[in-house]
This record gives sequence, C-alpha cells and structure tokens, in this order.
Amino acid sequence: MSVAALTKKILHAALFYEIWDAMKVTFRHMLHRPMTFQYPREQRTIPDAHRGALGLLRYDDGRERCVGCDLCEAACPSRCIKVISAEDMTRPLQRYASEFYIDITKCVFCGYCVEACPVNALAMTKMYEYSTHDKRSLLFDKKRLYDIGERHLDDGKKYLYAHNQEKNVEQSREYRYYFPQSVQKSTQPPPKHLS
Amino acid sequence: MGLKPATNPDVEATTIELNIDGKAVTAKDGVSLYDVIAMTGKIIPAMCYHYTFDPFGSCGMCLVMQEGKKAPVRSCTAKAAAGMVIRTEGEDLFLARKKAVEKHLSVHPLDCPVCDADGHCELQDMAFQHGVTNLANAKQKFIPEDTRSPVLDFNMNRCIACAECINVCKDVLMIDALQFMKKGGFNQVVAKGDLALHCEFCGDCLAVCPVGAITNKFSKYLYKPWQMKKTTTTCNYCGDGCQLYLETKDEEVVRVTSPLSWKNKWGDRSETAKGHGGLCVRGRFGFEYLDSQSRLTQPLVREGGQLVQKPWLETMHLLVDRLTEIKRKYGADAIAGLVTARCTNEELYLFQKLMRTGFGTNQLDSSARYGHMNFVLASKHAVGLGRSPNDWEDLTKAKAIILIGSNISETNPLTAVRIKEAIRVYKAQVVTLDSAITNVAKLASHPFLIKPGTEGAVIDGLVKATIDQDLVDEETVGRHPQAFEALRGAVANVSLDQLSAQTALPIEAFREIASIFAESPRSIILCAEGIVRRANGYQNVLKLMDLAWITGKLGRTGCGVDTVTEEPNEQGAVDMGASPEFFPGQARFDDPGARERFAKAWEASLPPVGSGAHLIEILKRCKGGQIKALYILGENPLATLPASMEVRAALERLELLVVQDPFLTDTGKLAHFVLPACTYAEKDGTFTNLEGRVLRVRQAMDPLGESLPDWHIMTALANAMGYRWEYQSANDIQAEIMKLLPGYYNLGQPRKVVPVPGQYLSSGYAAEVKARYQRTPPSGEHGRPFSLLMGQLLVHSGKLSTQAPGLIKIAPNTGKLRMNIRDMERLGLQDGAKVRLTSDRGSLQLGVQADQSIAPGTCFFPEHFNEPPVKDLMTVSVDATTGVPSFKQIWVSVEQA
Amino acid sequence: MAFEDQRTTVYKIDPEHPESESLPTLRTEELLLNLGPQHPSTHGVLKVILELEGERLVKSTPVMGYLHRGVEKLAEDGTYHQFIPHTDRLDYVCAMYNNFAYCRAVEKLLNLQVPERAEYLRTIVAEVQRIIGHQFWLGAQALDIGAMTVFFYCFRDREILLDWFDELCGARLTTTWYRIGGVERDLTPSLIDKLKQFLDYFPPKIDEYQVFLEKNRIWLGRTKGIAVISAEDAVNFGLSGPVLRGSGVDYDLRKYEPYSAYPKCEFSVPVGKNGDTYDRYWIRVMELYESVKIIRQCLEQMQEGPIMADVPSVTLPPKERVFTNLESMIQQFKLFSQGFDAPPGEIYCGTEAHKGELGFYIVSTGGGKPYRLKIRAPSFVHMGAFDHMARGYMISDACTIFGTYDVVMGECDR
Repeated sequence: MSVAALTKKILHAALFYEIWDAMKVTFRHMLHRPMTFQYPREQRTIPDAHRGALGLLRYDDGRERCVGCDLCEAACPSRCIKVISAEDMTRPLQRYASEFYIDITKCVFCGYCVEACPVNALAMTKMYEYSTHDKRSLLFDKKRLYDIGERHLDDGKKYLYAHNQEKNVEQSREYRYYFPQSVQKSTQPPPKHLS
Repeated sequence: MGLKPATNPDVEATTIELNIDGKAVTAKDGVSLYDVIAMTGKIIPAMCYHYTFDPFGSCGMCLVMQEGKKAPVRSCTAKAAAGMVIRTEGEDLFLARKKAVEKHLSVHPLDCPVCDADGHCELQDMAFQHGVTNLANAKQKFIPEDTRSPVLDFNMNRCIACAECINVCKDVLMIDALQFMKKGGFNQVVAKGDLALHCEFCGDCLAVCPVGAITNKFSKYLYKPWQMKKTTTTCNYCGDGCQLYLETKDEEVVRVTSPLSWKNKWGDRSETAKGHGGLCVRGRFGFEYLDSQSRLTQPLVREGGQLVQKPWLETMHLLVDRLTEIKRKYGADAIAGLVTARCTNEELYLFQKLMRTGFGTNQLDSSARYGHMNFVLASKHAVGLGRSPNDWEDLTKAKAIILIGSNISETNPLTAVRIKEAIRVYKAQVVTLDSAITNVAKLASHPFLIKPGTEGAVIDGLVKATIDQDLVDEETVGRHPQAFEALRGAVANVSLDQLSAQTALPIEAFREIASIFAESPRSIILCAEGIVRRANGYQNVLKLMDLAWITGKLGRTGCGVDTVTEEPNEQGAVDMGASPEFFPGQARFDDPGARERFAKAWEASLPPVGSGAHLIEILKRCKGGQIKALYILGENPLATLPASMEVRAALERLELLVVQDPFLTDTGKLAHFVLPACTYAEKDGTFTNLEGRVLRVRQAMDPLGESLPDWHIMTALANAMGYRWEYQSANDIQAEIMKLLPGYYNLGQPRKVVPVPGQYLSSGYAAEVKARYQRTPPSGEHGRPFSLLMGQLLVHSGKLSTQAPGLIKIAPNTGKLRMNIRDMERLGLQDGAKVRLTSDRGSLQLGVQADQSIAPGTCFFPEHFNEPPVKDLMTVSVDATTGVPSFKQIWVSVEQA
Repeated sequence: MAFEDQRTTVYKIDPEHPESESLPTLRTEELLLNLGPQHPSTHGVLKVILELEGERLVKSTPVMGYLHRGVEKLAEDGTYHQFIPHTDRLDYVCAMYNNFAYCRAVEKLLNLQVPERAEYLRTIVAEVQRIIGHQFWLGAQALDIGAMTVFFYCFRDREILLDWFDELCGARLTTTWYRIGGVERDLTPSLIDKLKQFLDYFPPKIDEYQVFLEKNRIWLGRTKGIAVISAEDAVNFGLSGPVLRGSGVDYDLRKYEPYSAYPKCEFSVPVGKNGDTYDRYWIRVMELYESVKIIRQCLEQMQEGPIMADVPSVTLPPKERVFTNLESMIQQFKLFSQGFDAPPGEIYCGTEAHKGELGFYIVSTGGGKPYRLKIRAPSFVHMGAFDHMARGYMISDACTIFGTYDVVMGECDR
C-alpha cells in the first residue's frame, strides 16, 4: 500500500469521512417534497384495475344480471361465496339468485368470481373502507352487494374493462346476451342479436 | 335379445375372436361391438348408449374404424363378428367424433348458467374433451318448456335426441310413457300422445338424461352439482332396499339421485339381474319430508292437557321418574313397547334390549306384525328359516313366477322391475292371481283375475291340480311318503269345480298354472299383501310351501316361496328380535339355550316365558288396564288400526304414553311425552331388505333442531334409569350385534340360505295338514255386493310419505272411493258422485272415482289416508297362530247418496 | 426437554487455554434463551432457542411452524387454478415470484407452451418483484443492524413498484397475476411508461443506498466475516440463491436451467468470495443493477402478441366469447367447476426466486386437483443451516444471520 493511500485511509477513519458522505445524501433529501400523505384527509388515487370490495351489477334497464348459476361459488378459492338460487316464477326458464352472500372476512380478493361469472354480474370496486366494530356486518348479503354495485357502478364497469372482462362499456351493450332467452310461445321470434 | 350379450343362462352363444387395436379379443357372437370394446377396458365416448338397454345409435360418437371400410362405423349398433379388425383410436376418429359433438352443440341453447345439469352433463364433457371451439352456424330451437307434468319438466331446447329416456322407459321399465314426436321442425321427446306426462314417475328418464332436457320439478334451479354433499344410503320407503344418493346442501336435502345414471353407462348386462340401479317415485321424489317444516324439533311434555315444549334434560328427568314409578308400583308387566320397522337394525336391537333388560318386559312388537310376521312364522315353522329364500337375481332368472295377492309394481316397484326383466330378457312365464288389475298383470303371460278374498281357495286348487295331474316331483315326495299321503288325503275332498265357482278362476287355469309352475326348472311364488295381510295368512303361506314342496321346488336353487315387505326393515325387525316370539337372530324366546346365551351376553335376567304380548294383545292389555305405560317408537296404531280396535280408548287409559317420532302423529297427540326422533338421513345404521341383504344407512345431514337418533334417545333413557350402556355411536351397537350374531352383516351380500323342510315334514306335518285344507263353505250370505279393499299406492308408503309435499302433489288424497267404471255405470254413478258406503261396522259418505285398475265387484281406498276414515269401516280378524291383525278387506254395499 | 439437563451443567475451566488459569474459578453455566416468536426482528413468527455461553452462541435451534396454515394440504382440495391465490400467501413479500414458480410447475406438468409475449411479461414482472424483494431485504437487514435511513429509502422506492403492481393487477401484495398458460393482464402503455421512468430513476438510488452502507464501519463490522459458510457446506446444506452465491458457488437457475425470457437477455450473475454476510449483501445489491438491465432488454425485445396460451382444455376462453358462444361457455364452466384434466405423473420445477430456489413438486393422479403438492421453500431450507452458520457468533448477530437469508415465515412454515 502506498503512503498516500495509507494516509488517505487514516484521514478518512479519523474524520469519519463516510458519515459526511452519507450526510450529504440525507441533507439533499431535506429539499425534497415529502413522499407520504396524510391518509384520511388525503386519498390515494386508486387504479381502475384495483381489486376492492365486490358488488353485484344490474343491466341498464334495472334487471339483475345474476342468473344464480353458482359458478362464482365453485371458482372461489376461499369458499366465501354462497348462492341460493331459485326459479323466477314470473318468467319461464329464468333462474335467479334468491340469496347471495359473500363473507368478506374470508374473501381473498383474487377476482376469480368476476372472471368466472358468465354474465359479468359481479365486479370489484374501489371500495376498501368498510371496517366495522361488528363482524357480522361483514357478511355481505344480496341487498348490500347490489347497493355496492349501484354506488360504485362506474368503478365496476371500469374494473371489468381493465381486466378484459368486457370489451368496452359502450360496445358491451351490443353483444350482451340477455340471458337466458325466456321462451313462452313457439312462434316467438328469436332475439335480435341471434337472428 | 337383439345385439346385446346373450345373457339368458339357458342359451350359450358361440365364442368368436376379433382384433381390437392390435390385440386379439374373444367375445360372444352377436354382441354389440361397443360392448366388446368396453369389455377390454377401452372407453369410447357414446352419449346415447346405456348398458341396460339395446343400443340406439343416434349420437354418432362411438365411431371406430373397421378394416376394409372407408368410413368409420358406429360401434354400438354394429355386431361383433369373427375376424373383425377394429381400430378405436386415431386423429381421424377424434375429428369424426368432434364433428358429431359439434352437430349436437350447434342447436344447443346457451343455457349452462341456468341448467341444472351443468357440471353433470355429458354434452359439456364431450365438448370439453374434444376441444370444440368457435362453431359456425349455431342456431337455437326456441321450444317452450313443457311443464305440464307434476314431476318432470321437459326442456326440449337442450335435448340431443339420444333417446336414452325413451329406451329406459320402454326397455327396462316396460312402461313406455315417452315417445319422439316431430314438432316445430325438431324431433322432441314427449309423453305418449303429447299429453301431460302421467306415468309411474320413477324418474329413471331423468337419471339417464345426459343433458338437462329433463329436469326435476322439486329441485329445479336449486342447486349445482358442485355445491352438494352426496351421501350413499338406503331408501327407507319399502323393503327393496334400493341404494340412493342423498344430495344435501347444509341442512337441506336438495335431491335424490340413483346409481342408474348416464355417468355409469358401462356395465355388464347380466349384472342388471341384481338390480338396474334405478329408483321409484317414492325414493326419488319423496325426500321432502326429511327437512320438512312439520318435523318435531323439541321434546313435548303434556302439561294440563297441552303438549308444551321442554328441554331434553327436563323431559328425560320427568320421563324417567314416571317410568320408574310405574315399574315400582305395578311391576315390569305394566310396561310395553311398539317399534316401527323404519328404524335401523341397531335401533331395533336396542329397542328389544331396552324392553327386555331395561324395563324387564316381553310385551313388545314391531310393525312387521301387520303382515310380514305371517310369512316369517310360517316359513320358520315349515323350513326353519324366517325370510324369503331368494334374492333379486333368482327372481330375475326364474322361468316361472306366480304372483299371488301382490300388486307388486305398487308396493315394491323395483322388485317389479326384476319381474319385468324376467319377462323381457329371460322369457319367464308370469302368472298373476289378484283381485285387481295390476300393472304386472298387463305384462304377464298368464294374468288371472280372482274374486277378492279367495286367494286361499286358489292355492287349494293349485295343490289339488298338481296332485291330480301327477305333476308331483317323485324324488322329493318319495323322501317323506307319509307326509305326502297326509296331504293327498287332506286335499282329497277338495273339488276344483267348487273352487272354480268360488274364485272365478276356470278349472283349466288351475291346471295350466300348476303345470307351468311344476315344469319350469326355476319357479318362484311371490306372495305379498294379498296373502300375508289377509285372514288365514299363516295357513295360506304354509299351503304355498306345500305346493312348492310337492313340485320339488322347496330348497332347490332359484326356486322358493318369497314375500315382499312394505317397510324397509321388517325383515330386520324380525331378525333383531323386536317381537315377543324371537330373540335376535330369530332364536325362539322360549328356547332355554338362547335364553341363557342372551341373559349372559346382556348380563341381565330376562322376562319369564309366556309373559310376552304381541301388538293386538298389548292393545288389549292397555284397554284392560294391565299395561300402564306404553313406549311407542315411530308407530302410529291409532291411525293404522280401524276404530273397532278401540285403540283410542286403550291409549287414553294409559298412565304414561311415550311417543318417539319425527312427526307429531295422531298417536303422538294423545301422548304424555313426545320425543323428537331423527329420520334415516340423520343417522347411521343398517337396514335388512327383503332379500336379507344388510345395507348401510349413512348420515347425510345433522339432526334437525333438537331431534336425536332413536338409538341415542334409548341409550340416554337406559342410562338415566341406571343401566350402564356405553354406546357412543351406531357402530358400537353394531359391534355388539356382530358378537351375538356372527355373520349377520355379510358385507351387504344376500346370505344364501337353503330351506330345510325335512324336520317339519317328518314330524309334525301329517298331524296339522288335515286342518289346513278343511274348507269352510264360502259365506256368500254377507249380503253386501262389493269388496272394499284398502291397500298401498305406488306413490305412497305408510303414513310417512304423506309428509312429503312432492308425493302429495303427485297423488293427493282425493278422498274418493275408486271403482271400476262398469260398476259405476251399473249403479248410475258419475265420476265424483257421492256414494254411501256401508259395512257391518257402519257407513260413511264419500265421492267416487273411476279407476281402471280396479276389478269389477271391488272398490278401493288407499290405506295412507284417513280422511274420510274409511279404515273405520273395517273389521279386524286376528290370526290365531301369529296374532296378525287383518283389516284390509271387507264386504260393503255402495249406493248413491 | 433435553435442554433441562444442560442448564445445570457446570463448565470446567478448559486446561488447554492457559489464559483461563489466571481467572478465578467461577461457576459458569450455559444460558438458554428463547428468541421469538414474538420478536420484532424475527421476520414474522420465528422462535429460536439459543444456547449461550456468555454472549456467544453455542447452539441454536430454530422452532418453526408458528405460521403454519396447511397450504400444501389446501392445494389438494381445490383445482390447480384455485391454488394460485394461495401461493400469494407463501412469501407474502414477493407474491409474483410464487405465482410464477407455481404456474411454471403446472405448465411443466401439462407440457404447456406459453406465448412469447407472456414470457417477456412474466420476466419483466418477475424482475420487478426481485427488485422489490431485494429492497425489502436491504431495508430490513439495515434496520436489524441499526441503519434506519436505508430502510426508509428502500421502502420509498419499493412503494413506487407496489403502486405499479396495483395498477397492473389490482393488488399491491397478493397479486394473483400469473395464470397457468400466461398472465392475466397485459401491460398498458401507461404501465410501460411508468416502468421506464422507474428504470431511469432507480440506478442512482441504488448508489444512494450504497453510500450509507458500503463504507460505513458499523455495517462493515457487523457484516464482514459474520456467518461465514464455505462453498462446500453451503452446497451440502442445500442453500441456494444469493446465500449460495455469496460463498462463491456460481449457481443460478436463470442461467443453468434457463426459462421464460431469461435466455434472451444478457445479464451477469454476481458471485461472492468469502461467504459472509457482506458478500451476500453485495450480491443482492449487484442483482438490483442486473434486474434493471434485464427489464430494459425485455421491454426492448418484447413484441405484440397473445398473453395467454390458447389451449381450450386448459386456459379460459376470452370473456366476450363466453357471452355468445356455447363452446366457450362450456369451457368456462368446466374449467371453473372441475378444472382441467392434468395428466398423471410427478414433476418438480424449481425457479430462481430472489431468495433462492423456489420449487414446486406436484404429484398428479389425473383429474382437476393435485394429489399432493410440496413446496420447496428457500427460507425453510436456509433455516436448516442456521445453527451451523451462527455457531460462535454473538447473540446480537443472531437476527442479522437469519436476516441474511431473507427469511419470510409465511413461506418457511407454509
């Protein structure tokens, strides 16, 4: 080791050079804007793809999309969905979910139910603040899920779009298959999109 | 038998050799090629195939390449021939099959989300397996759903025209209720004549439908297959002991499915002789009582004339105090018990143990006393064996079957299917002797209608005709010449002419039936409610035994005298000793050896011989005041027995009436304590069916409310009374039974038994045969023209099925008397007209309806309903030997009201 | 327990050490110390029973299983597809890599080819996840040793990437983005822009982290020559990843069993010399630079194309086809209710996660569910070498030693 190098090393050790070096970085950060924000007052911008609480959607004419096929229940990896289906007596062949429960305490927010849904009745929303003192209120029933779906309809539609579940909010109306076709008379004309 | 394997044991088909996928295979000539391939273990997809019926060949999936042919052939309709070279795999075949699937898919609606078959659908499986994507030219049928039938909905949009439903109905069940019809440009399955489907509603069409074209109305849209827990258990409606799958969702029974399904379509045709795996209307659609709203969920205790709900602990304390008090005050003989044969073997065993060792009384009986006991005691007396010697396979393969007094397609529908198979596949000659036009009679080779109540006379005539025509088996008879001489002497003064006049059966018929029975290599007599539930049941069964003996059929394989049971475990009730005559294992109660053995095993002293009482005696003693406490487990004597028995008076006299039942029955309403019991879906155990097979009952769901399994209640009761019973589960009881009756649980296989009449024939026979054929002249002087019969309907079983809304929907209580249309015309009655029905016991007014299965001169009312109380018109005659009450037939007059 | 006897053992003064003779004969005894499971620097709920002689570690026994959730058993209950969200919860810091390793294993079982664009996407996201993982480790390790600032800076930059994940797949940690046969969602232009910005922003930040550590004498004192493990021992203990490479073994699955888009990228694998904590730190920092390099290359090379394999018997149909097309609807229903039919067989597939080799061993007997699924978690394997590596070091080093493995108990206990 050369004398110069040795001197430098001794000097560095004596002057705690590395501390000054690091302090330079630290002091430089004093000039930055803070990275944090004050949460309840300031809200994070949540991306469209965000997987938040689940909601049930309706068609634009107000009918329930869900046909009670129970596929979400089959797809759910944490078994938090329970669907009780029944026949809609007012429309022949129409099945619907008479009861629909999501135990949101069990939900892992994987989005499989949305992926599974053959009518896109379920969507995830940007809603994430539903902490409560009563655990029982976290068993979302059909009414609550439709409420969420209604309140966060835009989020839901954007979610479906972002996750390739629906091509486009506008386009979807074109190819949407109103499901299933209730057949009342044998002379009934086939629906427009199928003829 | 068309293209199917020649299953007839009398015909041996020649063996041929062919080549499948480079392997040499031997097969029977004339068999379907598909079956040959399936036998090698290769599975070719086929949607219209099911092994229980002949190949139909509509789906076009089972394609194979045959060497020398350019196009693929359908293997199901092709016959296997010697020297064929077959290829079953390959890209070309895969594509050809894919095309066939595409053909079906292209007209299939986009229904999966709402279809009940989704997840259990062969079309789905095939489409997925063959990777069908992006179909061109898909179109839909737009056929409205046919919801006219009360049970099944037909959605012909989903139909793939595989005809499995039609074939199973026509070939296997021989009902033929469905057909194809060209409607709206499509071939559709409709009920015969395009009417609302009205058939036996066995639902086998539903089971074999590979798509969701036929759906069950009772569970429509309530489920998807993946949501349900499937439990294999045994049906508890009749003695057939069919295996079924209870499919449950939490605390709710959603549907019942059968082993017969499109899913297990590969099998050996000859195996169907043991049962084709289907169910009947009761088994498949009568499940709704299991989770019914009217189930008892809390113990009830009578307080000031009212039944009030009490917790279990309090109820048990009160009950045990009352019981011990009565036992202390009046002794053990003041307690008696009745049990239903719908309980499991374990519970029946525990019941008799509780009665005998716990309460110290031999006053106990089961519902086998209503008829089955006649057969058991007669058979035990004659051949030393208290059960039917034949199983279903024997019945299917029999060459001659005499059905006497058994409307078997109503009481035991699946045993009836065995007889239908005997007719269809094994070409059996079937003789029906009944006073009603039964369904089997319509298919039988020799249907005979006899006058009601003359079954005994018919048997006399048959024995006489056999001896007259010298159809006697010399070898068998030669072994007991003395007994035969006694029989010959007994029937010497029987005159066929007289009998013919009495029974309305021609003399030639007697002769013909006798020769059919005697000359067939395998012949079976099946006697059911028309014999064992009527007067002289015991003697009539013995007479049938005589007939079987002299023709050499007693003890020969595949022959014998059989019976069927109405309740699922009547045989088990007898085998478990739930009767005053028997210990478990049909050991006689008065047999000192058995007494010693059981006293030692139970570590208790047994009630003395001679203190026992059967059902009728128990009721008599209740009325007489000797019996103070009655423990009724699932039985309902008040609703079953006619008013002339004065059951109500008997029960009201009791100091303590305990009823343990899933429902609040008529008897329960009189009780001081009502204990809520579980149904079979909520407990483990076994049933012994009419073949003697011990079948598992498995718990499918948790007990409803506070109800408990019967064995649990009995164990608790015994423990509360100070006995140390350490049963934790039904298995513990089973282990005890296994120790006492080694070999009883024979892995569900029927225990092969050989009747041995030798002992009886050589000792007591000659002395009693004389009396048996002594004919009391027919009492034509009753002065009433009609015979009123009470019996079972196909859709119902006992009173239990009336708790199932589905079955009530199919067959509601019309409250009407069923009569032959000609009788109605003669009396000038319109359908629905009011008539006055009068018997010696009284009269009542009710509507009338025409029923084509009722013979002229008779009228019928189902025994399941007491509204109007037709049963109260009946008189009861109690069999002197067996104590069986018979109250199902009486002479009445019918006049317009 | 066996420890009971040793507690009362009185250690005699060793006659071979002359300096001890001058000390007065004192009664010394081994101290048994429970570290964890509730300890802030045990990276979860890990308990270690330390046997101490003074402040020196004589023997240490990791007690694991406090975070056992039966994940392997859960796998047997659901379809292959349904297990992906469960893998998120293994190493919950780096869910993407677990998804990746699992999907690769299933694809190997099915012999499924993933489209090229999907491979690039997978590589990009995996490397982003590697950066997150190393940042997390660096922050935590520095915190364990006492350097608070590094922790803040690392987490600040990690936050950018987590938000990027949120935008990509909808969740920051439990991602479930990989699918069997591809990925769930493509990168949007905005995501690519954000990633590119990050790649420009990030390398100077790595230098910044270095400033705090590489010359810091406390850091050097606490890492240099600490927890040394020889190359031979490292191999014998089955170590992998940076822990193995720190001992000078040049072994990286990305190079030796190349998968995904890695063979198409140029990158080097940093290898240490001494096998001490410092070398392992150095490797991880160097890997940050390499990851940036790989992501850049992937972004350049990536072409347009499908992101999911099109195998109807395995992969889901596009949703718009489900609405109108019966075959696709059947496919949808079959795949979700019963899963795809995997061929019978057994496979093992290891993937180079940032911690080491994350392997999935699947036994299939056919049908939609695995018969058995075993996870070879690097954290678990590394904990096996803890006693060997910690022996003779100070008690204060214990936390930094299991810190050096980058142990995450979710993965370790499974």
